[in-house]
Amino acid sequence: MNYIGLKTFTFREIERFLRTSVQTILSPLISAALYILIFGVVVGARIDLIAGVKYIDFVLPGIVMLNLINSSFSQTAFSLYFQRFARHIEEVLTAPISYLEMIVGYVVGAVARSVVVGIGIYILAVFFSAATISHFWLFLFYAISVSVIFALLGLLIGLWSDSFEQLSLLNTFLITPLTFLGGVFNSIYMLPEGMQIYVRLNPFFYFVDGFRYSMIGVSESNIWIGIAIILGLILFFGSIVWYLFKIGWRIRN
Amino acid sequence: MKALEIDNLYKKYGENVAVNNISFDIEEGEFFGFLGPNGAGKTTTIGAITGIVKFDQGVIKVFDKDVVVDYREARMMIGISPQENNVDIWAPAEKILWYIGGYYGMTRNERKEKIPELLKLFDLERHKEKEFRMLSGGLKRRVMLARAMMHDPKLLILDEPTAGVDVELRHELWDYLKKINQQGKTILFTSHYLEEVEQLCNKIAVINKGEIIALDKKEKFTENGSSLEKTYLELIK
Repeated sequence: MNYIGLKTFTFREIERFLRTSVQTILSPLISAALYILIFGVVVGARIDLIAGVKYIDFVLPGIVMLNLINSSFSQTAFSLYFQRFARHIEEVLTAPISYLEMIVGYVVGAVARSVVVGIGIYILAVFFSAATISHFWLFLFYAISVSVIFALLGLLIGLWSDSFEQLSLLNTFLITPLTFLGGVFNSIYMLPEGMQIYVRLNPFFYFVDGFRYSMIGVSESNIWIGIAIILGLILFFGSIVWYLFKIGWRIRN
Repeated sequence: MKALEIDNLYKKYGENVAVNNISFDIEEGEFFGFLGPNGAGKTTTIGAITGIVKFDQGVIKVFDKDVVVDYREARMMIGISPQENNVDIWAPAEKILWYIGGYYGMTRNERKEKIPELLKLFDLERHKEKEFRMLSGGLKRRVMLARAMMHDPKLLILDEPTAGVDVELRHELWDYLKKINQQGKTILFTSHYLEEVEQLCNKIAVINKGEIIALDKKEKFTENGSSLEKTYLELIK
């Protein structure tokens, strides 16, 4: 194992997002602050308790999760795409660094970015008296494991994309719709009964709901199903990414 | 000892055979010229040695380490300055060296010691904090060479290192390469400037259409009063 190589590669990924911190950190914080202000405070003041809690408390975990997902996905997708585009991925490919070390470096960099953004939003929420954590270890598990899933998905898209347009396709057509339909702003019981079954088939619902449980102790799903889905997706995407790196798909000629 | 052994290397892109079962060795300490027209297979061969190109058949060993099976050990012994700049263009020269040293397992102290040495050697001290994209062509080339030397490789692969470089730097580079070769560094060198190949290399291989068409000591290419350029042009006709 090349520990120094792995550490250097990981720090390089972290330095990359710190170098563009206005876009990678400040921008999601501003958007989260607006979500909290409008949906949590302005609209929330006119909504009764939802699932037994204030609307701002209900909606905050979803807003944090939304940003964790976007941050980790963007970090790996853009980083890998740019490295392929500018060819400086060759620096790593010619170095004594394994595929697994490369993947770990990308993923840890993405989780670091998610954590920085997540902590920032949590601090913001403190000003709106909305920041609570009911189950700390579960909170940590959800924040990190969901970031890992989307970091891996970002790597797949970073490998596959041949243009900036392709890079944003998944975010536009899959991640954003499924997150919004996954109960960020509403309780599943606010939906018609016929629709609830479809929401329960949406893995994003389990990410948001489980994270909400870890923060405010309120859940509308079986937490264990959520944990199983998360671990299954990490294994699934992790295996695909590892295989594609191993065969050098779109990174080696 | 052999610094590089290539045995029946074969690589195809779609229907196009880029390298067709080529074999050659480079002895430790040799200054080896690898010549050929554009698209002949030089960069593909170099890519196969360094791990950028996945080859279809053949075996490549660097100081007896297989570049696929023992890739870590093999890559530790290779330094590459590629034909095209493949660096993070927003990173300053100093950072580029810092990162590459880390990739090759150098500790912080080793890097702190080596980087100023290389910046001085390649006259980059004044430019160490400038982003790579802001540097002139010649300075960029110096950074690429410094990067190749960072981990003190035993085999240095230079793919057209003097392309786009001014005369002064070219001469400085020749002197430097001669010096490190005399100190025992093995060098694989490609260039379209045959006069520098003639001046620097002691063994030459010519590749054309994916096949080695000549491989011998430099003197064989220039015997009977012929110039390397004349012999080369006849070979690739």
